[in-house]
Amino acid sequence: MDKNYLIEKWLKNELTEAEKQSFSKLDDAEFNQNIIDNAIHFKASHHAKINDFNTFKTHYNSQNTPIKKLNWWSPLIKIASVLVITLGVYFAFFNNSETLYKTIASEKISVELPDESKVELNAQSSIAFNSKNWKNNRAVKLQGEAYFKVAKGNVFDVITTQGKVTVVGTQFNVKQRENYFEVKCFEGIVKVIANDMTKQLVAGETFQLLNGRLSEGKTNASGPKWMDNMSEFEAIPFKQVLAELERQYNIQITIESVDIDRLFTGGFMHTNLENALKAITQPMNVTFELNTSNMVIIHGTNN
Amino acid sequence: MYNFSPLKQSALQKDLNDNICEEQVFERIYNKYANDLHDFLYYKYGANLNPNDKAQDAFIKLWDNCKQIPLAKAKSYLFTVANNMMLNEVKHQKVVLKYQQENHKHYTNENPEFVLEKQEFLIRYQNALERLTEEQRVAFLLNKADGKKHSEIAEILGVTQKVVEYRIYSAFNALKKELEGFKIK
Repeated sequence: MDKNYLIEKWLKNELTEAEKQSFSKLDDAEFNQNIIDNAIHFKASHHAKINDFNTFKTHYNSQNTPIKKLNWWSPLIKIASVLVITLGVYFAFFNNSETLYKTIASEKISVELPDESKVELNAQSSIAFNSKNWKNNRAVKLQGEAYFKVAKGNVFDVITTQGKVTVVGTQFNVKQRENYFEVKCFEGIVKVIANDMTKQLVAGETFQLLNGRLSEGKTNASGPKWMDNMSEFEAIPFKQVLAELERQYNIQITIESVDIDRLFTGGFMHTNLENALKAITQPMNVTFELNTSNMVIIHGTNN
Repeated sequence: MYNFSPLKQSALQKDLNDNICEEQVFERIYNKYANDLHDFLYYKYGANLNPNDKAQDAFIKLWDNCKQIPLAKAKSYLFTVANNMMLNEVKHQKVVLKYQQENHKHYTNENPEFVLEKQEFLIRYQNALERLTEEQRVAFLLNKADGKKHSEIAEILGVTQKVVEYRIYSAFNALKKELEGFKIK
């Protein structure tokens, strides 16, 4: 008899007497049985259980002031329902089913929007959009950094607190961090509105607002480096570099006698913390100390 | 024209209209699904992520929202809510199943070598379980550790019995492969 057939039936406890004989004659019959016999070791109730109902009740009552659904519920529900209706109307018109995606430190995710546009979200960033009305109004609120690949269609807006980017089907990167707003266009045309000015970027052009100062530049890259697990900086204040390092590795950096406004040009990889620290401290002529709980101290040369 | 006697009709209606907000009904639901929900979470996500708390929280949510949820939907509500709570927590932590090892109290007759090998076997087994897909692991453990029938598991997971059989079969083969080294010669 076919071995797999026997095992299948054995797993279902459906072996006939004759089949049981054949099964026990298989060369690894004992081994098979051993695996199944030992499954019981992992039985949930040997190690953990859910509270019984009375414990649950006690737990619930201690958590909330118990909602006595009988006594004062009735008058209160009238007030509550008015509030609910008001909020309901507000949300129906202004806040229709907003979808939110958020990343934490050292996390990057890919998001697909309702029209198949794609967003790559860097660490400690978030995007929010209204999926219901998407076709007619493609608007994404961004906090942090993301790379967008927009499908052709209606106007597509990326809104940040420091500026707004409008496109019609292109690929671009938007970076919004502390006092740092940067847009890099990799394909097509994007329109940037920030600080009361409007700028149009074509593929290969970049726009940067650093501490309120505008600078424009060029890029040959086909996409942002952070998606290849690398962060690159060109004449950027050191404190921004440190902030990005903290985001990518989920560490905390303390500085001693270091001028964090000095400009840094260079980069670091997201794959090895020690190498990354070397990469950013050596050019700046500072040293670092890394202890096991992912806390880093950076010393200036005077130390 | 045949009329339903009012008594008979109301008896029919009673079950359908049972309100979760009535404590008796809620307790019934709790006792019916609590263990299965807990075990499901435990097998899927491990002990580390507090399956007891999440299961409890799901029931709390059910109670707090009892007005909006019909009795028939209670089970899927509980499982969905609890699973989502877990997913949220999983995002921030690496999932390690951490099933405890057995106390070897009753192995006093065995020699130390045997005990050690048994322990190694169980550690390997646990690692192998962690490497199964969630679906395989949950189905396999609900059947072989908890002793639930395929039909019961199918109901809990909301899939067909054939799917359950397939998952257990795949799980078994995967485990066998990983535990190859422990075959008794």
